[in-house]
Amino acid sequence: MRPSDCRVRVSPGAPTLKSLTPAGCAGRPRRAVFALVAPALLAACGGPQSALDTAGSDAATLSHLFYVMLAGAVVLWLAMNGLMLWVWRIDPRPMPPRYARRLIFAGGIVFPTVVLAALLSWGLSIMPDQRAPGDGLRVEVTGEQWWFRVHYWPEGATEPVRSANEIVLPVGSRSEITLEADQVIHSFWLPSLAGKTDMIPGRTNRMSMEPTEPGEFRGQCAEFCGDSHAWMAFTAKTMMPEEFDAWLAAETGPAAQPEGALAEAGREAFMAQGCGGCHAIRGTPARGRVGPDLTHLASRLSLAAGALPMTRAALVRWIEDPAAVKPGAKMPAYDHLAPDTIEAMAAYLEGLE
Amino acid sequence: MPTRPVEDLPRHRNLFLMVAAPTIWAVHFVAAYATTAIWCEKVGADTAGLTWLVTGYTVAAEALIAWFGVSMWRQWDYMDDQDYIHDGATDEDRREFLGHAGFMLACLSFVAVIFTTMPVWLIGSCA
Repeated sequence: MRPSDCRVRVSPGAPTLKSLTPAGCAGRPRRAVFALVAPALLAACGGPQSALDTAGSDAATLSHLFYVMLAGAVVLWLAMNGLMLWVWRIDPRPMPPRYARRLIFAGGIVFPTVVLAALLSWGLSIMPDQRAPGDGLRVEVTGEQWWFRVHYWPEGATEPVRSANEIVLPVGSRSEITLEADQVIHSFWLPSLAGKTDMIPGRTNRMSMEPTEPGEFRGQCAEFCGDSHAWMAFTAKTMMPEEFDAWLAAETGPAAQPEGALAEAGREAFMAQGCGGCHAIRGTPARGRVGPDLTHLASRLSLAAGALPMTRAALVRWIEDPAAVKPGAKMPAYDHLAPDTIEAMAAYLEGLE
Repeated sequence: MPTRPVEDLPRHRNLFLMVAAPTIWAVHFVAAYATTAIWCEKVGADTAGLTWLVTGYTVAAEALIAWFGVSMWRQWDYMDDQDYIHDGATDEDRREFLGHAGFMLACLSFVAVIFTTMPVWLIGSCA
């Protein structure tokens, strides 16, 4: 496998990220040397959900911190083992107690105090930047069981642009992220861009993200929140500012009209079955706010908060029995409907780009 | 071993004096965090006063810890006989052991209180 096979950043027009967990990707080309040495160990150093393969300034800071700490730990490990080798094997003479005590004082008291003070100072000096205020777009994310409600508040907006399970951010500016939760504590973690922050019912937490390059990423709920915690993920896209503006304008607009008889039948079935009681599709009578907004469902990279790919087969599977995919999912099963009806609904939803 | 007889006083066998310095560290920790939480909730983002307040706690805590440290150092009485092993069943061993341990705990607590205060000095905001 060539290192370039592992690149998950996509430029406009390139194929989208279909598999969210590309197996066997060992890292970006600049780490190819390490990948040759220990591919198995480094399998987690790349990919769309890695704190070490960064596309945001905050994640880059954390990654740098990690590598410095790792380097320090390696040096310390070598020094300690070297010392043990020296006193046990190379020169195993008894040491005068005076030297031994000095060694313990210098190595056991002075050295750790100085190193910890330096690391603490450094950590504290970079910590506030991780929560720097945003300078434009605000994205309000609410943790639900088990999906993410996403509201975009562009500057000056009085009404949010409603979406779900995908975060889209412009490259080059710092977006404010406000975090809330519905029933239980969740944690919002998009490791490629920044560290994690808890979402707590009754509180509004905040963080910010500054993407530095365009790409597609995966985030994950990082606090156990019930049956389908492990299935509570989201996708993220970062775009150049002009591309983002175009995306936001499209996202603000109403849903696409169904194309073809099958999709039209699907739209009718969707409305007749009362799906609009929970889901909103802007431009239609469906105005429910209980479940995820489906207005531009098919433009997202995944279905059911990262649990399924965005394909018609997956839509059919989801509509038939959501709890079979995500245990405890609140949406009822529709497996009593005729397969043709479900197929038609899936065709309609698949057209909502 | 003993070069001069020392009368063992009640304070020489008091375990609480040995752990006094870490106790001050713990109280300082709770006071600093509680004050910061209340300040940020009630007063708001202007943290200049908070910095002075917590620094004041730190000066007071360090003075107390230093006082206990000196007192424990004297009880250890190291310069007298350079004795740092106290495993005998004697009054002197108990006294010097408590002094030795208390002195080292005071050193640790002294550094730890500085570490506890560093966020106030280096971050200095409620964020």
